[in-house]
Amino acid sequence: MTTPASEPTSGVGRFFRTNRREIRFLVLFALILGASFALISVNWVNDHVIEPFTGGIASASTGALNLLGQKVHQQGTLIQGPRFAVNIKNGCNGVEAMLIFLAAVLAFPAPWKSKLAGLALGIVAIQAINLIRVVALYLTGVYFPKVFNASHTVIWQTIVILASVLLWIYWANRLPRPAPPSESAA
Amino acid sequence: MKEPSEPQADPSPPASPRMRGLVRNLLLLIVPVAIVWYLVTPIYNRLLLGGAQSLLHWTESPDVTNLLPRDSQAAYIQRRDFPPTKSLVHAFQLTDVHFHLILVATLFLAIPGIPWRQRLENLAWAIGVTVFFDILLVFLIVKSTYATGLGSWSAGHYGPFAQNAYGLLKHLLDLPFKLGLPFVLWAAFYLGDLRGDRPEPVVAAPRSTPLPRSRKKAR
Repeated sequence: MTTPASEPTSGVGRFFRTNRREIRFLVLFALILGASFALISVNWVNDHVIEPFTGGIASASTGALNLLGQKVHQQGTLIQGPRFAVNIKNGCNGVEAMLIFLAAVLAFPAPWKSKLAGLALGIVAIQAINLIRVVALYLTGVYFPKVFNASHTVIWQTIVILASVLLWIYWANRLPRPAPPSESAA
Repeated sequence: MKEPSEPQADPSPPASPRMRGLVRNLLLLIVPVAIVWYLVTPIYNRLLLGGAQSLLHWTESPDVTNLLPRDSQAAYIQRRDFPPTKSLVHAFQLTDVHFHLILVATLFLAIPGIPWRQRLENLAWAIGVTVFFDILLVFLIVKSTYATGLGSWSAGHYGPFAQNAYGLLKHLLDLPFKLGLPFVLWAAFYLGDLRGDRPEPVVAAPRSTPLPRSRKKAR
């Protein structure tokens, strides 16, 4: 590829030119992620969107646990049983993983149709994994209470975020590849 | 509308062996990496507390903050200018600050088709950035505790702007950017490989699976 005379030829300029796709992606990702988290930290959004959403997760988890024979009931975001209770708070409702996935999908150069399809499927998948996480954490609290803290803060957070990253890589990997530049374009 | 001479996108999806290789490597590596993380946690905790305490002392006059290990997973914030019975003002989980190292190391080591030397070199850069991030996060945990967590003392020493600024910065670093950092670092190194944007390496070792390229040519 030839370099037009007007383009910067310094190391910094060359770095930005060579890595402009990555830089654009990372800046967009950080902006979308920061803005979306600032948005959900507004009290009104938290009270009217996040809390009811978390209540829905608690409701689904309660149903799943009752199917597994645990006699639990739900109060808002609290799941209570005869031996243990979990309260689903921000950070455990899968919203963080969803927003990381959303920011990564929106920042990546792809057709909007692919982005919307990826977002729909990815968010459903992340919430399914988060449902497994809540159920597993409740069962851990009942049967293995000594490992509950490690399971809560390290193991399941790692699994949920890793799953989000893998979903994104899978989605981005399925997109049509850009064709290599033709000889005349060089 | 595309020009007739514009190169057309290849509509065929990328080969799945790369994805399978990544998933297989992640599953194989995550447990050993978590064990290594668990073993080095006491050393890393000391590094983080020392680094954050130095950063805090740089912003204090006189130096009043001590960061003391509580156990292998948590730490105390101590203010030496408070009465001895109230000097331990807050405790926080250090492992919660740096468990994302498991994700960083697993993602960087699991990338298929990159020579091990290159993987380790890229991982070293990523860990270097993560260490700085973690020190900054501990610094902000302490500052946001001072600004918002000590009741009337906080209100007397920090204005509304400082309270909001430290609170928001700590919130952003403690959740989205802490959880997103491994992905950001991985994308910074390997995003071009994902879409095949970069030219093929001049010398590519033949392998059974299609190989993503590293930032530098494979050696």
